[in-house]
Amino acid sequence: MRETIMQGLQQAYSNFVHMIGEFLPHFLVMLIIIALGFVVALALKYLLRTLLRLTRLDRVSEEAGASRVLRMAHLPAMSELLSRSLFWVTWFAFILVGLSMLGVASLQEQIARLLRFLPEVFVAILIMFLGVAIANFLSRAALLAAVNAGHASARIVAWAIRFVIWILAITMTLEELGLAKQTVISAFSIVFGATMLGLAIAFGLGGQDMARRFLEKYWGDTRRDRDKEPQPL
Amino acid sequence: MDLLVGISSHNPAAPVHQAMQVIEQSFQQNFMRQRVVIVLMDGGSKDGDGLAIAPVESSPLKIGRPPGITSLRTIHRVTASFLTEPLPGVALRTILAVADLLRARACAVVTSNSTNLTPDSIARLLIPVYRENFDYVAPLYRRHKFQGLLIRNLLYPMSRAVFGCPIREIYPSEWGFSASLGAHCLNQNVWHDEAIRARPEAWMAISAVTSDYRCCQAYLGDKMPIAGGPNPDIVEILRQTVGSLFWCLEKEQDVWVDHDKSVSAPALGPAQELTSEPTDMDRHRIFEMFRSGVTNLEPVLSSILDPETHAEIKSIVELEEGKFRFRPDLWVRALYDFAASYHHAVINRDHIVQALAPLYRGMTHSFLVEHSDSSPAEIEAADEMLCSEFELQKPYLRERWKAKVEVKS
Repeated sequence: MRETIMQGLQQAYSNFVHMIGEFLPHFLVMLIIIALGFVVALALKYLLRTLLRLTRLDRVSEEAGASRVLRMAHLPAMSELLSRSLFWVTWFAFILVGLSMLGVASLQEQIARLLRFLPEVFVAILIMFLGVAIANFLSRAALLAAVNAGHASARIVAWAIRFVIWILAITMTLEELGLAKQTVISAFSIVFGATMLGLAIAFGLGGQDMARRFLEKYWGDTRRDRDKEPQPL
Repeated sequence: MDLLVGISSHNPAAPVHQAMQVIEQSFQQNFMRQRVVIVLMDGGSKDGDGLAIAPVESSPLKIGRPPGITSLRTIHRVTASFLTEPLPGVALRTILAVADLLRARACAVVTSNSTNLTPDSIARLLIPVYRENFDYVAPLYRRHKFQGLLIRNLLYPMSRAVFGCPIREIYPSEWGFSASLGAHCLNQNVWHDEAIRARPEAWMAISAVTSDYRCCQAYLGDKMPIAGGPNPDIVEILRQTVGSLFWCLEKEQDVWVDHDKSVSAPALGPAQELTSEPTDMDRHRIFEMFRSGVTNLEPVLSSILDPETHAEIKSIVELEEGKFRFRPDLWVRALYDFAASYHHAVINRDHIVQALAPLYRGMTHSFLVEHSDSSPAEIEAADEMLCSEFELQKPYLRERWKAKVEVKS
């Protein structure tokens, strides 16, 4: 009885030592890959940051209004954000490769799926960035045009433009990520179509008089109003 | 060639042959012995593939010649044909190139805004260059005291304070220049810039001042509004003029950021004259446009103006129309903020210039109220005070110009 227990313990111990003997090299390889990944990611981060500063991306982002949105969200400047993103994406990829060296079958499958997903995440981030930048630029242009033409609802026009472009960008981002693809597209089509139809009905039927007044004011009075201002030159 | 007059583009309301006739009359009456040429920018031709300078034509004048007066020389014409109406910058460059090729000693340019062309006014632009060795001749006009407020409140005082440019009309409808100034401008690498292609006039005037050419101003008489159309859009004018001035500030920053310069440009003939006929300006609407503009553009103005300046502007927006006044010091500070923000491109530059429109309307309203009963002398005095304010606050512009823009994390 006692011997059996001792044999069992010895067997377990030898199995454990064997497992450790097999696991430890893999673990060390993983640590090395992760450490190497950290160095590579850090180098890429500094390289990208330098390149982006040389190309004055922050100024472009400031001009397009994207930096303002980033500040509102307590995020760093555009060049810093992109270089930090590259750092984390690169290091994360190395970590996943390192983890796959452990040889855990179920983990490897998940890691492979994650690695396939990474480029889509990058594209999705890019779509969102472009969406925010374009929305800010166009809404500001619309705001300035409407204010200088003397329209009372200038801010509403600007917000409507920003809202529509944001919705479009979010829809495209979700579609890129493959999240509830059909639902997102259907929801967008329904919401967008319903909004446009609603506006058309409201403006065309319910607001005939208002539409007429609006058009008369826009095409008629603007020129006359200009004549009521002194000639600037 | 002795003299050259270029017709940059013609006013659709006044056919080009009228301008040609006036120029030819001027040549016949004032420059009978000189070799002369008229250069016309033809933007309506459908044939040809772009610019093509037609052969020099001789033109025996047949219409409108006063009896007993005749030119001893042939009046030549050069036509530069474009597929469409050339941009002012393209037209001016072509005129400068033709003047350089023909070695014209004294040149003048008339544009689509020239509404008061007379043989005498052409002569007044050419004579100072041809006989008195001036290099740049800007016009001076007689006009209503409420006309040209953008020049009075912004373009003239700002260019005078920053560049030491004493020329009142830096966006003239017609002006004269010498061969050497023309060649100097032609050799500058600016002609592909959008600001120059759209409105090159201010740049040429500022170049003359900053490059130490001799400048003067000649009185040309009444400045008539362009007939047959509404006032041009103020935003478009701001884009062309203020945008171009801000561009000049950046282009010539070596001249003014660390140095002060002041040159003179004597007025030949009477100084500018002001008239005071009653007008039907809608002051209330101008004020409402200012108020709603500043309120609605708050996020845009906050990224352009210094916080203190923005707060002061917001506080005057709250005032009743009767008590409202745009103080000169606040106006100057706001303009300098706009110029610095344009330099640092804190937002899109075109948007910066557009955002100036409400503030300009506020200043216009203030001017209309303040000077409704002012005499020309009182308005001149107010002009001088505004110029002094621009001078006084020049260090502020320099400080903001040199400041590094932080892109906050």
